[in-house]
Amino acid sequence: MTVRLSVKNLSKRFGPVQANDDVSLDVAAGELHCLLGENGAGKSTLSACLYGLYRPDGGRILVEGAEQVFRSPADAIAAGIGMVHQHFVLVPTFTVLENIVVGTGVGVKLDLAEARKRVRALCERHGLEIALDAVAEDLSVGEQQWVEIVKALYLGARILILDEPTAVLTPQESDRLFALLSRMKADGLSIILISHKMNEVMRSDRVSVLRRGRLVGTIMTSAVTRDELTCMMIGRALQPVEAKPRIASNVPVVQVRDATLQDLRGVRVLDGLSLELNAGEVLGLAGIAGNGQRELIEAIAGIRRIDGGDILLDGRSIGGSTARDIARLGVGHVPEDRFKDGLVPDFSIAENVILGQHWDAAWRRGPLLDGERMAHHANASIAEFSIVATGPDAPVRKLSGGNAQKVILARELAKATRCLLCNQPTRGLDVGVIDYVHNEILRKRDEGVAVLLASEELEDLIALSDRIAVIFRGRIMGVIPRGSADVARLGRMMAGASTKDVA
Amino acid sequence: MAWAGAIAVAALAAVACCSLLFLAAGADPIAAFAALAKGSFGSARAIADTLVKATPLILTGLATALAFRARLWNIGAEGQVFAGAMFAYWCQSSLGPAPAIVQIPVIVLGAVLGGGLLGGLAGVLKTRFKVDEVMATVMLNYIVIYVLSLLLQQGPWTESGGFFEQTALVPAASKLPILWEKTRLHLGFLLALFVAAILQVIIQRSPLGYEIRAAGSNLRALEFQGVNVSRLVIVVFLLSGAIAGLAGAFEVYGVQYRLKSGTLSGIGYTGIIIAILGQLSPRGVVVAAVLFGALLNGATLMQIKTGVPSALIYAIEAIILMFFLIAWAFSQFRLRRIDHVV
Amino acid sequence: MWSDLLEAGIIVSVLAATVRIATPILFAALGEVVAERAGVYNMGIEGMMLMGAFAGWYANYASGSPVIGFGAAMLAGVLMSLLFAVMVITLEIEQIVTGLALNLLGSGLSTYWLRSAFSDMNNVPGITILQDVRIPLLADIPYVGQILFDQRVVCYVALLAVPMIWLFLFRSRLGLEIRCIGENPKALDIKGRSVAARQYAAVLFGGLMAGLGGACLTIAATAHFVPDMVNGRGWLAIVIVIAGGWNPWRVLIAALVFSFLDALQLQIQGVGIHIPYQILLAMPYAVAILALMFRRKAGRAPAMLGLSYRRE
Repeated sequence: MTVRLSVKNLSKRFGPVQANDDVSLDVAAGELHCLLGENGAGKSTLSACLYGLYRPDGGRILVEGAEQVFRSPADAIAAGIGMVHQHFVLVPTFTVLENIVVGTGVGVKLDLAEARKRVRALCERHGLEIALDAVAEDLSVGEQQWVEIVKALYLGARILILDEPTAVLTPQESDRLFALLSRMKADGLSIILISHKMNEVMRSDRVSVLRRGRLVGTIMTSAVTRDELTCMMIGRALQPVEAKPRIASNVPVVQVRDATLQDLRGVRVLDGLSLELNAGEVLGLAGIAGNGQRELIEAIAGIRRIDGGDILLDGRSIGGSTARDIARLGVGHVPEDRFKDGLVPDFSIAENVILGQHWDAAWRRGPLLDGERMAHHANASIAEFSIVATGPDAPVRKLSGGNAQKVILARELAKATRCLLCNQPTRGLDVGVIDYVHNEILRKRDEGVAVLLASEELEDLIALSDRIAVIFRGRIMGVIPRGSADVARLGRMMAGASTKDVA
Repeated sequence: MAWAGAIAVAALAAVACCSLLFLAAGADPIAAFAALAKGSFGSARAIADTLVKATPLILTGLATALAFRARLWNIGAEGQVFAGAMFAYWCQSSLGPAPAIVQIPVIVLGAVLGGGLLGGLAGVLKTRFKVDEVMATVMLNYIVIYVLSLLLQQGPWTESGGFFEQTALVPAASKLPILWEKTRLHLGFLLALFVAAILQVIIQRSPLGYEIRAAGSNLRALEFQGVNVSRLVIVVFLLSGAIAGLAGAFEVYGVQYRLKSGTLSGIGYTGIIIAILGQLSPRGVVVAAVLFGALLNGATLMQIKTGVPSALIYAIEAIILMFFLIAWAFSQFRLRRIDHVV
Repeated sequence: MWSDLLEAGIIVSVLAATVRIATPILFAALGEVVAERAGVYNMGIEGMMLMGAFAGWYANYASGSPVIGFGAAMLAGVLMSLLFAVMVITLEIEQIVTGLALNLLGSGLSTYWLRSAFSDMNNVPGITILQDVRIPLLADIPYVGQILFDQRVVCYVALLAVPMIWLFLFRSRLGLEIRCIGENPKALDIKGRSVAARQYAAVLFGGLMAGLGGACLTIAATAHFVPDMVNGRGWLAIVIVIAGGWNPWRVLIAALVFSFLDALQLQIQGVGIHIPYQILLAMPYAVAILALMFRRKAGRAPAMLGLSYRRE
C-alpha cells in the first residue's frame, strides 16, 4: 500500500479554539478514506489546511513523500490535491465548460476548443457524462456535483477531497456517486471523504475519527460497526431521540388543496399539491432540495402567495393572508437559513425574540417599545432554552449556530399554538443541539400542535414522524405511515416514483 | 469608543493633508488654521454664524442618516432641499398677507410636503419599478434644479424688474424669528435640534425605528415576519425627503429671505458626509454638522487673511470624510479579527 | 420650424454631434462595464472624470501637448481609482459611500486647484482644442462619411474600444475570470487565483477610462475647465451601463441614444424653436429614469455587484 498523502502532527488554532490538535493520518493510493466527526470536530479545518486555505500552526503535510507548504490553493492544486466543497462553487450563468476552464491556463486567448477535447478525454476515462454546453444553473444538484468533480480532475487532482457529498443526493444518486468513486480508486486516485453520515462512512476503506480537534483513531471500516464508530465520534453511546408511537388525532389543522405556484422563470414549483397536517402529529416532509419544500412551507406561513388552490387553517382560508396574521393565528415557522431568513444579525437576543411582534401592544409602553419587558422576556427565554450568551443584549451574530437556532425556537415555539413549520431545523448543528431540537419538536406534538418537519436527514424523519410525505417537483408523491417507511423506499419516491409504483 | 478614536485619527490626518495643500498654495498652514478657528468660534457673532451654517446640515444629515440606516441609499437630499424650499415658497406666497403665527406653520408644512413628495417618488420608483434608488435620486436632483431655474428665470416667480434668477424678498411676517439679537441665528436651528431629538427617540425606541434598523441589517428577515417592506421603503423615503425639505425652507426663510438656487446647492451632498461622519446617529450628526458649519464659516476669514481660496473647504470636507472612512475601517478590522471563531 | 430639423444637412450635423458628444461618456461607461463585471460598483466616476478633465486641461495648458494632457488625465483617473480600490477591496468599506466620497474629493480638489492656479476666474486660459481628423476615402462617403469618419481622434478610439472590450470580456482568458468574480468570486479563489488582484486591475482600468473621458470634455470639446463641468455625465455613464445590460455593444447604443438627445437639443435651440433650455437639459435625466423603469429583464446585473468578497 503506497502512501500518497501523509499528515503529521497537524495543529491549527483559531483564537481560543483549538480546531485541530496534533492530528496524524495517511491516505494510500487507490484508497477511499473517510474523515468522520460531528459538526465542529475539526474535519473542515483539516481539509482546508490540506487544500491550502489555511496555514497550519504546526505539523507537516507530505505528498508522495515530499514535504509541502501550501500558501494558497494554487500550491495544493499543483501538488495534485483537489476539493469538492459541500456548497458548490459554480458560476450559475456560465456553461459547464466555462466553469471547468475558468481560472486555468495561461495566455491571452480563451481556448475553449482545446479545453473541450481535454475534458471529453477526462470524462471518458472515468465514465462520466456531462453536458458541456449546459448552463450551470439549469443543472440538477446531482449533475452539478459531477461538474465539481470534473473541475477538480481537470486541474490534475490525484487526491480528491469530497466534503459531505451526499447531503443533497437521493439514495440512488448516492449509489451512482460511489460507483464513480470506485472507478476512480481503481485508476489510482486517492479519495478523502468528509462526512458524518453513517451510510457514506461504511462504504469507505478506512475511517479516521475526529473528536474536538483530536484524532480518536484510524481503522479499517470492515473491522468496525456503526455504533462503535458513533461512539468514537461523540464520545458516548448514542441514544437518538425517537418518537413514541401514538394514535394520531386525524383532526386536520392545516389543509393544502391543489396549491400551484410559478416562480419568476415560469417553472411550476408547486404543481397541484395537496396535503393535510393533523393536530398532535409530526408530518415529515422528505425530498431533495429544490423540489418545493421551501415554497410549500413559505406558502403556508404566508410569506409567499400561491397562484392557485387554497390553504386552510382550522377550516378558514389563509391563502390571501399576510404572514403576520397567520402567525397571530398560532403558526410558528423555523426557516431553513437561520441567519438569512430568521434573524437580524445586528440586533440583540431581546430584539430578535420579538421580531414580527414589534408592533404588538404587549411589547410597548405607550408609543415606544418597552425595553425592560423585552429584556425580561429575553432572560426567560435564555434560561428556558439554555442559550449560551453574555446576556439579552448580546448581538445575535456572535452566537453559534446552535444558540442562534435556539433564539429562533424561543420565538417561534411560543407562537406555535396550532401549527409548527420546520425547514431543516438541525442542519449544521452538533448532536447535543440536534437532540434538543428534536425533543422540542416532540414536545409541541404532544401539546396537540400539528408539526410539519422538512428534513434531508431521512433517518431523523423516520425516527420522529408519524407519517412521512415525499415531495417531488412540487407534488406529493405519497404519504406513508412511519411503520412502512425505510430509506430505500423514500429514496425512490424522492426520485419520482409514486406510492403506486413502490410497494 | 472606537468612533472617537477614528474621528481623532481622521482629524489629525486631515490636518496634515490640508497643511500640505496650504503649503503648496504658498500659504502658512498655522496662519490658515488660526484664521479658520477665529472665523468659526472667535466671537459671539462667529459662533452664531457657525450655528446658522450648521442648521441645514443638521437636517440633511438627519435625512440621509435615516435612510442609510435602513440601507436605502437616498442621495437625493440635494433635490429634496430644493423641493422643500420651492413647495414652501409656493404655499407661503399663495397665502397672501397673514400673521407670522400662520405663515410659519404653512412654510414648515410646505417644506415637509415638497421634500417628502420628491423622496416618496424615489421610493415608488424603487418599489414599483425596481429602479435603483441611487440612480433615481441623483437623476431627480438634476431635474428639480432645472425646474427651479425655469421658474426663476423670467418665470412666474422671478422678482419683477430684476435680472437675477431669484424671487423677490419674502414678507417680514414669513421670516423665521431671530433667536439671538444682532446675529443671524434663527428659529430653524432650534427646530433642527428638535427634529434630531425626535428622530433619536424614534430610531432607538419605537417600532418604526426597530423596523428601520432591522431593514438595514437584514431586510429578508423582516419579510419573513410579514412586514410590508415596500411600504416601509416608501415611508422611510417620505420621512427622509421631508426632513431634507425643511433644510431648504429654513435657508429661504431664515437666512436668504428669498428663493434662489445658489445658497441651496451643496447642502444635500454635504449632508451625506455629515451622516457618515455622525455614524448615522442623530447625536453624531449634530456634532458633525456643527463642525462643518465651523469649517464653512471660518473659510471666508481664512481666504481674507491668507489668500487660500475658500473653495478648499470642499476639498477638506472630502478629505476628512475619506480619512474617517479609512480610520473606521481599520478599527473595524481589529474588532472583526477578534470575533473570528471557526 | 420643426420641419427645419428634417433637412438632410441638419440631420447629418446632429448625428455627427452625437458621436462627438458620446465619446466622453462612452469611455467612462466602458470602463465602468469592466469594473462592474468584476463586481465593483464605482460610483465615483463623476469625480474621476472631473479630475481627468482638470488634469488633462492643465497638463495640456502647461505643456502645450494634448498627448501629455491625455496622459495626465489617465494618470489622474488611475490614482483616484487606486485610492478607491484600496478602500473598497482591501479595507472593504461600503462601495456606495466610498464612491460618493470620491466624487466630493474630485469636485473639491479640482475646483480648489483651479482657483489656486488662476485666481482671476474671468481670465482662465484656454487651450487649443483637438481638431477633426478626416480619414481619407471613407470620409467622402455621402452622409455616413461626415458622421463617422470626420471626427476627433478620440472618437475613433472610443468606437474602436467597444469591440476591443467585448473581445476582452468574452474571448480572453482574463475576461472570463473577471466575469467569474462578478458572479461568484469563490469559484475563482478556490482555483488558487487572486480575486483581489483582478478586481484591482478592473477598477484601475475603469479609472483610466473615466479620466480619459473627462479629458475629452476639455481637450476635445470646450477649451476651458469650469468647476463641476462634468455635470452629471458620470452618473449618466452608470445609467448607460445598466441600460446596456453590462454588454459593450448595447452600452454603445445606449450612449448614442442619450447623446443624440443632447445633440438634438443643441440643434433645436439653433433652429430657433423656443423651448426653455432647462427642459432640454433636464431631458437626459428624465429619459434615464424612464430607461431604468422599463428595462428589459435580459441583462442581469453581476450577482456580486457592490458586495465585498472575503474568503472565510
